[in-house]
Amino acid sequence: MSATTLAWIVLAAPMAGLFYNLIVGSSVSRKHATWAACASVLVSFAAAVGVLIALLQRSPDDRQLVSTGWTWLSGGQLHEGFSILVDPLSAVMLLVVSGVGFLIHAYSVGYMHGDREEKRFFAYLNLFVFSMLLLVLAGNFLILLIGWGLVGLSSYLLIGYWWERPAAVQAAKKAFVMNAIGDVGIALALFLLWGHTHSLDVLGTFSAVDSLPGSTTTWIAGLLLVGAIAKSAQLPLHTWLPDAMEGPTPVSALIHAATMVTAGVYLVARCWPIFRAAPEVSDLTALIGVATLTMAGLIALVQTDIKRVIAYSTMSQIGYMFCAVGIGATSAGMFHLVTHAFFKALLFLGAGVVIHALADEQDIRKMGGLGRYLPYTRTLMWIGALALAGVPPFAGFFSKDQILAAGLARADWVGYLVFGFGLAGAFVTALYTFRMIFIVFHGEPTSFARTHAEKHAGHGEGPFSMIWTISVLALGAVTIGFLELPGVSHAMRTFLEPVAPNALEASTSQETLASLLAVSLGVIGIGAAWLLYGRRSDAPRKVAEQTAPLESVLQRKLGFDELYDWAFHRPAVALARGGARAWEGPVVTGSMDLVGATGGWLSRVLGAGQSGLVRVYALVLALGLAALAAWFMAGAS
Amino acid sequence: MSWLSTALWVLPAAAAVLVGLAPAKLWGRSAFAIAAMLANLVLALIAIGQFDSSKGLQFAESRHWVSDLGLTYHVGIDGLSLVMVALTAFCVPLATAFGLWAKRENLRGYLALMLALEAAVVLLFVARDLIVFYVGFEAMLVPLIFLIGGWGGTRRVRATIRFVVYTLVGSLLLLISVITLGLSNGTFDLDGISANTSPWLFLAMIAAFAIKSPLFPFHGWVPEAYREAPPEVAGLLSGVISKAGTYGMIRFALPIFQEPSSDWRWLFVTLALAGLLWCSLMAFRQPDSRGVIAYSSIAQMSLITLGLFVGSGEAYTGSVFQMVNHGLLSMLLFLLAGFVEVRFGETAFARIGSLARGRAALATIVMATGMAALAVPGSSLFASEFLVLLGAFRYWWLVGAIASLAIVLAAMYMLRWISAVLHDRTATPVREGKDVRWEALYLVPLLAVVGFLSVDPHAVTARVDCDSHAGLVAPASTGSEICR
Repeated sequence: MSATTLAWIVLAAPMAGLFYNLIVGSSVSRKHATWAACASVLVSFAAAVGVLIALLQRSPDDRQLVSTGWTWLSGGQLHEGFSILVDPLSAVMLLVVSGVGFLIHAYSVGYMHGDREEKRFFAYLNLFVFSMLLLVLAGNFLILLIGWGLVGLSSYLLIGYWWERPAAVQAAKKAFVMNAIGDVGIALALFLLWGHTHSLDVLGTFSAVDSLPGSTTTWIAGLLLVGAIAKSAQLPLHTWLPDAMEGPTPVSALIHAATMVTAGVYLVARCWPIFRAAPEVSDLTALIGVATLTMAGLIALVQTDIKRVIAYSTMSQIGYMFCAVGIGATSAGMFHLVTHAFFKALLFLGAGVVIHALADEQDIRKMGGLGRYLPYTRTLMWIGALALAGVPPFAGFFSKDQILAAGLARADWVGYLVFGFGLAGAFVTALYTFRMIFIVFHGEPTSFARTHAEKHAGHGEGPFSMIWTISVLALGAVTIGFLELPGVSHAMRTFLEPVAPNALEASTSQETLASLLAVSLGVIGIGAAWLLYGRRSDAPRKVAEQTAPLESVLQRKLGFDELYDWAFHRPAVALARGGARAWEGPVVTGSMDLVGATGGWLSRVLGAGQSGLVRVYALVLALGLAALAAWFMAGAS
Repeated sequence: MSWLSTALWVLPAAAAVLVGLAPAKLWGRSAFAIAAMLANLVLALIAIGQFDSSKGLQFAESRHWVSDLGLTYHVGIDGLSLVMVALTAFCVPLATAFGLWAKRENLRGYLALMLALEAAVVLLFVARDLIVFYVGFEAMLVPLIFLIGGWGGTRRVRATIRFVVYTLVGSLLLLISVITLGLSNGTFDLDGISANTSPWLFLAMIAAFAIKSPLFPFHGWVPEAYREAPPEVAGLLSGVISKAGTYGMIRFALPIFQEPSSDWRWLFVTLALAGLLWCSLMAFRQPDSRGVIAYSSIAQMSLITLGLFVGSGEAYTGSVFQMVNHGLLSMLLFLLAGFVEVRFGETAFARIGSLARGRAALATIVMATGMAALAVPGSSLFASEFLVLLGAFRYWWLVGAIASLAIVLAAMYMLRWISAVLHDRTATPVREGKDVRWEALYLVPLLAVVGFLSVDPHAVTARVDCDSHAGLVAPASTGSEICR
């Protein structure tokens, strides 16, 4: 089968799963429904592997295939088809989305067991996978925007899945509205793009980018960046992501770590011709990445909810990816996206095992010494944590160091900022990651942990479906990095080069320097975490005392939520309230009553004439005659 | 097939007379009325099937009526008429099905009025003669007055009076404009009316349409009428009948008064923008479903008006498509609100909530409707909004950018509505009341058509794209390519 046929199958399978669950879901057993959902994504993954093979069989310069299904929208001069673009970039994303997507589906079979509305959960998950695949396969920007919006929708549905918790509903709405702001950014970019090229076709517009005026390109790139920032939870549109942790843990792993939140990185990588033609916006992308990776890393240090620690870590890691695609190291950014998908999904799902074992408790202050009860999970979490901290030979080491080396190779102030803050970030990353690991898994068990873990002990560490899936992810976190072995193999870079070329190439010495520094800082970070949280000591308390003001600022997440509340939400509400009182009632409705009152008044005035008194009629008649006579006489003379 | 245009309004009119006069038993009468409406829907489907989207006006019929006064009976269907007639023929039976489900009293009158309403609305959508149009435009008021006044809520009388008085002011101005045009041209036939440059006649004509659609700030009658009318009538009012306003702009006001409409474009663009943002904001603070839907409806209609006045082919097609989408969704939203009112006996958000518990079908339908109504990317409403905003952006980037803010506002008020109905906890949770079951009969068809149009918006846009370009305001700066 051709690559495009396979790609259509990739897309259709989760949609079929969704409809199956919607239509027959209520009349079949839960097992049947959940496995149908999983099977549909597995079919998708198999077809995605097929796409990869089909692409590899073609020559490297001939790996861009477009297939148009039907005309989706027309109007005036606009004529856009529902088309998909199969190329190495989309193939990589297809594999990640359907692969990790399948594992998380399978994990959810165990995790969500016994939930009241499991089938709804799986229908939403299928919808998400479909939307994400549509987003990465889109061959037309209009279709890309549809995928973009639909992942936002599925994210909303899944964050608010446990709708009986008010916080979940609130978080879901917040995520949707923040993402709607991003959607507007992209829509405006498309209006500009279409206005100048009269096309929204991805490849067609790219070939026209060079003929656009420079300021237009800058605007287009800037508006696309707004969308990317909102979706990827970068500064300043990041506040929805921590709240999104109200969703079930598999959702956090799939949507808010491995796939959807990295869509912004994909967008910048996909639109590299536009971003490269707008260097200011590219620099801005990198700077936003730098700011986010630093800020999120610092906030992660003080979080007490295990999922929020990982959520801030995700923001921080996506900051690295933004740095990479911003400075032009496209393949490094994409590579970090892939490795991150594995180790971050692993960390989330591992946290899910812990939460599952502790009856839905997420506060790490209540945990401790869990390694005793969950030894296998501890091992896997260690693997994920080492990968995140960038310790060789785990995956994060290879990908993060590529980004730092690219910063060095860039050799200007943006590049050095990426390098410097990236290195500092490596230390912070190791510190917050291992703070979590040591607090949760090591030391003496708290009484809370003991009670719950011992009650749970009879069941092993969790259902089989949860354990095997995180094992596979751990395997990925160990091995996937070797796709890019410095000096030996550059599988990823070579594969992506024809469609998403790098603007710069790091030399071996730069790579070595970056690796050495980053690994040492990572190891120092782990050591610091051990000193602070691994040993029995009162060091954490002392540190907390000395840095209390800083900590309280961080715990309030730098006050963004309050700022937005005061700057946007409250004024809007006040305006709506005041407007209803001062304008809608008196003016809009009032003017209407005025029309009625005028009518009433007119009828009274005219009605007064019809008094029925003959002498009045006679008088009016006489007056009228007199007036007419006067007028005729005036005209005659 | 020239009989088709006439048959589409004569069939419901004749059925209305039969239902009103025949002494049949109650059940037979309902079945007959619904059958007549479905037969009309079949006629509309035949029209869709036979319609050739590469041609303009089809199924036309023209006869002399009162030659001395220049009156003709001229009807016909082009792409715009086609989609509007189809929308009407589709929505009326569903509204009536809701009425039967809600056990309306005095069925004889109710059914006859519904059929009469359909006849009048179809007549105005197929009319090619100013007087024929005016007859339809005014005739539909009669059944509406009785439907709201007779079957409405507790404050129905005041709502009806406001509605009637305000609409009649517009109608009067429209009549003046129509008569002046007819006398100066010697005919009322649209084909015989030449372009006119009088700003006064233009403003007089468009006043009626601005009140009907409604355009900010002439929307004062809307919230009350939509609250007090029976839900299915409110659905027809906002879904179908409001479209008579924008239809009148496209069919008559803009093509006849090309110069004045171009001169006054700034005013209408400003009013449309103001209405769009203002009413979106108002929708965000309403205390009940009908309030949210009413204000969101005004906002949507403002967007349609915006699309008509910015003068680009993209926005024109988008506006017409938006008329269809908004028609379907408004109908759906009002029927849902009506379902909740009838089944749970409450309207205020403060008294409903958590309805999702144990009611999976209701939750699915409300969620899907809400998402389609906030124009989530991929929905049919998204497709039409995209075209309108694109056109607005081409007219002036600032207008497009400001109008795009409505996307965020729509998300805010629709999400609030979804949560208020399905999720939020209230002091007195509703425990009684079953899930949607047979009610799916009048809800799911609407949702299915919305779904179909989301997958294939081209099905509508291809049919309306190439007609009525003559009806556009002359493009502002860039020349728009006119279809053959």
